[in-house]
Amino acid sequence: MNVDITDLTRRFGRTQAVAGVSLQAGAGVFGLLGPNGAGKTSLLRMMATVLPPTSGRLRLLGRDPGSYGPRREIRRRLGYLPQNLGYYPGFTAAEFVEYFALLKEMPPGQVPRAVAAAIEQVSLSDKARAKLRTLSGGMLRRAGIAQAIVNGPELLLLDEPTAGLDPEQRVAFRALLRDLGQRATVIVSTHLVEDVGAACTEVALMDAGKIVFQGTPDELIARGEGTGAAGDAPLERGYSAVLAASRSATAVA
Amino acid sequence: MTAATAAPVRHRTPRATSAIPLTAARLLRTELRRNAMPWILPLIAALFWFDSYRPSTGTAPLYVLRTFWNMGQGDTIVDFGPFVAGVAAWMGSRDGRRGLADLVTATARPRWAAQLATWAATAIWAVAAYLVFVGVMFAMYAHQGVGGTPPWWWVAVAVTAVTAFSAVGFAFGAYWPSRFAAPVAALGGFLAMAMSSQTGFRSPTGWALILPTNSNGNFDETDSGIFYPWLPDLPIARIMFLAGIAVAALGLTGLPGRAGGPWLRRAAAVVTVAGVASAGIAVGLASNARLSAHGMVIPALHDAADDAPITYTPVCGRAAGVPVCLNPAYRRWLPDVNGALAPVLAEVAGLPGTPVRATQVAAAYSSSAGGPQAVTLGGHPPVLRMSLGSFDMPGPCGFCGGPVATKQFADQIRLGFAQAFVGAGNGPGGPAQQAVQAALLQGAGIPFAVQPALMASSKNGPGPPPGPATGPVYAAARRLATLPAAARHAWLAAHLAALRAGRLTLKDMP
Repeated sequence: MNVDITDLTRRFGRTQAVAGVSLQAGAGVFGLLGPNGAGKTSLLRMMATVLPPTSGRLRLLGRDPGSYGPRREIRRRLGYLPQNLGYYPGFTAAEFVEYFALLKEMPPGQVPRAVAAAIEQVSLSDKARAKLRTLSGGMLRRAGIAQAIVNGPELLLLDEPTAGLDPEQRVAFRALLRDLGQRATVIVSTHLVEDVGAACTEVALMDAGKIVFQGTPDELIARGEGTGAAGDAPLERGYSAVLAASRSATAVA
Repeated sequence: MTAATAAPVRHRTPRATSAIPLTAARLLRTELRRNAMPWILPLIAALFWFDSYRPSTGTAPLYVLRTFWNMGQGDTIVDFGPFVAGVAAWMGSRDGRRGLADLVTATARPRWAAQLATWAATAIWAVAAYLVFVGVMFAMYAHQGVGGTPPWWWVAVAVTAVTAFSAVGFAFGAYWPSRFAAPVAALGGFLAMAMSSQTGFRSPTGWALILPTNSNGNFDETDSGIFYPWLPDLPIARIMFLAGIAVAALGLTGLPGRAGGPWLRRAAAVVTVAGVASAGIAVGLASNARLSAHGMVIPALHDAADDAPITYTPVCGRAAGVPVCLNPAYRRWLPDVNGALAPVLAEVAGLPGTPVRATQVAAAYSSSAGGPQAVTLGGHPPVLRMSLGSFDMPGPCGFCGGPVATKQFADQIRLGFAQAFVGAGNGPGGPAQQAVQAALLQGAGIPFAVQPALMASSKNGPGPPPGPATGPVYAAARRLATLPAAARHAWLAAHLAALRAGRLTLKDMP
């Protein structure tokens, strides 16, 4: 298992963002669904090794990120796209991707080819020499995805990766996700259930810091059938049904 | 997006240690290309031109005077420092300000290393710009025929100061990633320089000598870089101080948990402590500095070899038949010196003790007002020694309230000669010496009436207080001056030894 999480918690003062999450994920595309404030981003930041857990056990790519040496090894094999991606406005798209390739300690000789490949994969080749300040929001998102995949990560963490992408790009991106999932563990946090349905082999639904559902997209669809839950698509109805059931159970308890 | 056409490049080979410099070089290249510092350089260039270069051209064309304004008082540092601190704070706050802190932290390379690359690019731009600006300024000085040698040690001090400003500004920005970090750092840099200058004006000695805008020590009215090398003692102490501050600031950026691993953070702590120690030691060294004839000496740093004079081939002319030789740095003033000496040398021609030649000697630093005697006469055969570095030379003079006229300079030289000839030493001399001096000056074209004012304005001797040219001294002087030249010569020849020994009184005067 590339991701092995047991009873993981994270507190910010009195707020418990992640409350006892356990999760295992191997190669494939893993969707992380949940409403705002469910704890998805905090969980992803812990998996990205930028936020230490308050308690629990976290192993990534077979290593413990609590120690510096293993953490550095994990980071070499990690791709991360934060929810709110900043950028250096004076950098070109290619420089931005190259910069992070170097920070990921890729062998310098491999960097130029890897940068070109990553930029091509996100269909940004014609804008490779454009300054980031001149790119649209969707193009910036694609540049962010390119930096995440430039090192051929074994563990790819994407927080709202399709935000700002146009429909055509989203379709292409899902195809890219499926391809990446052939050989790496890709964890995608998203609000958009259609992304999950199109690309994910497994899905977890978080609410109030806990995982309230884990299974395949088909299993999530099944949870919504016949419940009368709100939603335009089967996955949305499954999503709503699971959340409603979870919240009513919490209220009864 | 093309999932099937191009798979990501995968690398699983261990990172080779030899790749680290190449990676660092590429990071640095990108940072250099996209650094904010070049955007501010036109503003600094304008400031440098109007604040550092142009005022300096109002001083005499000698490096020691030209650079007193802009390097001795630290104007070049003031022009650069606050802006460099501001831009460095802007760069230091970049990741936090731009919301990239998580992304940078999630990479394998320690964040401190990435930050150091960003800082290095900022510092390289700032230092390179400083060197280019100063280089252009020195080239213009050379084109204008400025004499002496440039104060390279002080250039090194300023380079270190610019580096320190960049490091402190960067650390400030890294710890406070706000859009306000840059203006606050720039303002802080400006205030630090203002305080440094004010402290320097008040404190000519002690710890305050370490401050980069304190001009006391190796500049102004002396011959550093002309007769003897610029002493490196104080510059070395200041470099230690500023480098210590820079190193400590950079070390501080490596202390936070996300900066890197335990080993790296320990190294950052050691670097910080080493920087603070270096700065502290430098302050201690500066506290022990003392003013020597050649500049500020710090015993623990002083190398006796630095006291060796610079060898040179003098440029010579003649005044009233007497050879006059100057340091080549003063070549442009040789006609002025000859013209100044000719009348007084003609007055005493043939008398015993008349100089067989006149030569320029190095001026000496002095902490007391007035300083050593600027013109002396002595030796066998007698030689007139003039420390022209103690005079305001004809032409532009930045701190004299206006250009110095040739006659103004000539009168000061003649006064110095007359004081030396009568043996008055560095004081006003006895009444008889004053009377003979006044008569000699009258004979050399300086009327009695203007002599009190001339002596009062002299900065190379105490002289009598200004007042009318009356009283027993001037009465005796008038009597001597009205004698026929042959009789005056005969009297001087007979009484010169006693006059110089201070044994003559006004009653002995003709």
